[in-house]
Amino acid sequence: MNPIINILLVLFAGSILAFGIDSINRKWTGWVAFLSVLLATFNLLSQTQASDVVFSLGGIRLKWGLSSLRLYFTYIIIILNLLAFLYSIDYMKGKARLGYFYSAFLLTVLGMFGVVISKDFVSFFIFWEIMTWSSFLLIIYNAYYKIKTEGLKYMIFSAIGAYAMLTAIVFVYHFYGTFDIATAIDQGVFSFENHIYIPLFFALAFAIKAAIMPFHIWAPSAYADSPMSFTSVFSGAMSKMGIFGLLLVLSTYYALHNPQAYIFTQILAWLGGITAAMATIYALIQTDAKRLLAYSSISQLGYIVVALSTGTKLGVMAALYLAVLHAVFKGALFMVAGAVEKQAGTTDMTKISGLIRKMPWTFFVALVSVIALTGIPPVGGFVGKWLLYEALITESNNYFLVIVIFFSSTAAFLYAYRFLFGLFLGQEEKETENVKEAPVKMLIPMLILALISIVTGIMPGLIFKPAAAAMREIGFENVNWEMTSLSNVWGNQTDLSLIGLFIAAVFVLIFIFLTFKGKKNTRYVGTKDISSSGELWKEGENWTFQQDFYKPFERAAAPLYKYKMNKIWEDFGNALEAFFNFFRRIYTGNGQTYALYVIGFLVLLLLFKDYIFR
Amino acid sequence: MEGIGLKIFGAFLTAILAFTVGMFYGGLRRKITARVQNRVGPPVYQNFIDLMKLQGKQTNIAHGFMGHMAPMWIIIAAMTVLMFIPILHNGLWFDNLTFKGDLIFILYMMVFGSLGMALGAGQSGNPNSAIGVTRGLSLMVGYEIPFVLSLVAIMIQFHTTSLQDLMNYQYQTGRWIILDNPFAFLAALMSSLGMFRYSPFDIVGAPAELASGPVSEFGGKYLGTMMTGGSVFAFIKLVLIVDIFLGGAGNVHMSGLAGTLIGLGELLLKTFLLYMIPVFIGLVSPRFRTEQAIRFFWKWPTFFGILAVIWAVLHPVGS
Repeated sequence: MNPIINILLVLFAGSILAFGIDSINRKWTGWVAFLSVLLATFNLLSQTQASDVVFSLGGIRLKWGLSSLRLYFTYIIIILNLLAFLYSIDYMKGKARLGYFYSAFLLTVLGMFGVVISKDFVSFFIFWEIMTWSSFLLIIYNAYYKIKTEGLKYMIFSAIGAYAMLTAIVFVYHFYGTFDIATAIDQGVFSFENHIYIPLFFALAFAIKAAIMPFHIWAPSAYADSPMSFTSVFSGAMSKMGIFGLLLVLSTYYALHNPQAYIFTQILAWLGGITAAMATIYALIQTDAKRLLAYSSISQLGYIVVALSTGTKLGVMAALYLAVLHAVFKGALFMVAGAVEKQAGTTDMTKISGLIRKMPWTFFVALVSVIALTGIPPVGGFVGKWLLYEALITESNNYFLVIVIFFSSTAAFLYAYRFLFGLFLGQEEKETENVKEAPVKMLIPMLILALISIVTGIMPGLIFKPAAAAMREIGFENVNWEMTSLSNVWGNQTDLSLIGLFIAAVFVLIFIFLTFKGKKNTRYVGTKDISSSGELWKEGENWTFQQDFYKPFERAAAPLYKYKMNKIWEDFGNALEAFFNFFRRIYTGNGQTYALYVIGFLVLLLLFKDYIFR
Repeated sequence: MEGIGLKIFGAFLTAILAFTVGMFYGGLRRKITARVQNRVGPPVYQNFIDLMKLQGKQTNIAHGFMGHMAPMWIIIAAMTVLMFIPILHNGLWFDNLTFKGDLIFILYMMVFGSLGMALGAGQSGNPNSAIGVTRGLSLMVGYEIPFVLSLVAIMIQFHTTSLQDLMNYQYQTGRWIILDNPFAFLAALMSSLGMFRYSPFDIVGAPAELASGPVSEFGGKYLGTMMTGGSVFAFIKLVLIVDIFLGGAGNVHMSGLAGTLIGLGELLLKTFLLYMIPVFIGLVSPRFRTEQAIRFFWKWPTFFGILAVIWAVLHPVGS
């Protein structure tokens, strides 16, 4: 049987089964869900050369299939989900409504997979909606009381995106007479020459899903309030559906480099850059680790959009690479936040600190992922940053965008450090005395993700290979890549294997020196035994530095903090409300007024009868 | 195998050179500061004595895993960056790995040490250290902007991201890049003031305010290792700016040992003169508050950086 059908069936059956089995034995729910994703993974890995599935539904020809670009995103979805489901088993232990959670989660996976395999607009839209609605159920799983504020934001923005997409699809069929994506692209749907609103409507839907400013305001709370095992997928894989869509929209531009689309890509690039910068400076003032990661996630998506919009080989390669890497390290970081939440009860950084000795493995994962996030060599994040900068500097004219990006990635050090310090470093307080390391089933997925980060830092070719195949599909021929080194169009290169080797060599030397020199006389002390300029620590005194962490930076960057997108949308909403309130007055509830309307309408008809009844 | 042996020898030689020069410059700064303040001051080799004392300490205080790793990370970052920066243009032993990494890599690798330091300081649990770290990171956001602007300007003007290519250009034409793009040099020089963290930007260590900030919990072998790394970094920053803007060193058309020695002399002269700029500015300046320091870098240096980029677009040199 075709693996596509198999995967869809397995996920769908898993969703129903998980819902049913929850009422029989709650212990099995997570395992059933995990097994169904595992089966889907095996199906995918066993047969990557699937033929297209074509069938007719109500006279519309639906077409599902895989190709190298689709396969690339399928790998992100399936592998991250597999790890997230394994993580879920222990993370969700003891929580209510497990059946609801897992069945919605599996439906979301089904939706994501469906979006990627759809080769026609109708099934694309259907799967897109399945994904959106089931993820909405997961967002309100924890915060049911927030349904009217935060849940509604997500719903409204998703609905706007969906309607925009639906309108665009109708227009596509009207003007081009086809629902097939490849055919429509060949006929120039996304060429920006005529019917410019079609690509714009599509881009709106995708930008909303990728949380690009100004459509991002649903994202911080949606990411932070969902269960963390879902958020790692939500931010890691589901936001990539927006990137996947944007790749489709821009594929005409990549192939032809038509000047009509150029302006659009420039606007998109700047939107991405501003998203990256603004989300970063908001991330570093958060006191909740989950919200910090949520903002960080938005900012990382900004980088990817910038890379996409360059439209050059290196840039698109950077986008595809960052898409994977972001899924890897942000998935791991959200899992870390979930592990801390599970073990310590909260992720509020003003309440907990100094977990490094209690949760060393979790800290290790957090450390590697943070290094990947900030893009410091020799971990995989550096490759993405390198590609992005080289693409912007050598292949585009957006020199000032480089600065915006560089500003945000330097400021990213601030929140990255805030995250590590807030949860793991600093004073060990009484409140966290009894915290234990996370369960093994939660640690394994995190460690696997950390390992991927490390390996890709030395051998990025592992990702370049499928990425190059995917790029061939959207109009880039002969993409050069090497397993362990990077090179730009000016012929400059960076050799990662040498760097890795050198760092390893120095590390070993200095490690031996520092560890064994005077080992016997080295005394390990706690966090209360510190130099304090003569003041002695008294029992119960709190020396934790967690409040107003970056106050000086906030003061320096005060003008940037003035602009709040939330406020602008709120004003917009209020204006709309006032506007519609005015029209509501038509319905007075008075019969006489309505009679007047009818008479007025008839009078109008009579007056203009020559024009109307010709 | 002879090639590899020579490489390793060259690497050690470079490390020793960077370490010695960095430590010596540090001692010189202390001496000059003392003379300006009308004191006798320590001898110029005082830093070496300090280092020997620190490494010879009998007991060491360790604050856990990250505290143990922090000095290591600083050394790793310093050594790695050092290997990728061309010390001399045609020195005998100093070309190390300079063809294998470019400016973007160097920029990012330089932060590696700071992050390790920040994490180590964080684990000690000392609030002063953490405050110092937040100040340092905030300051970094300040000075990186003009510095990157100036580097981007140079990269697009000369159509290369490789430091070696920039040096080759200056060697072949005999023309320093400071003449091709003076604004980039100004921006880089001003941001280097922040990198050196002397007054008025000594907000990270902030003597008498933060109890020496991030390093306050480190002692013995840890502090000694950090000091070594810091000295190498001081040398790296100087060489980086000399290489990019001031023609590099080793431009004499002589090969062999004599050429290398003359090149080293040239390098020492240029780096020393460059080093005196932050030192003398530090001598006459009081300390900024953190937000003032950040604001400073976002004003004039950034303005010069933007000018540099515009200049680079108008006057492209590379093909």
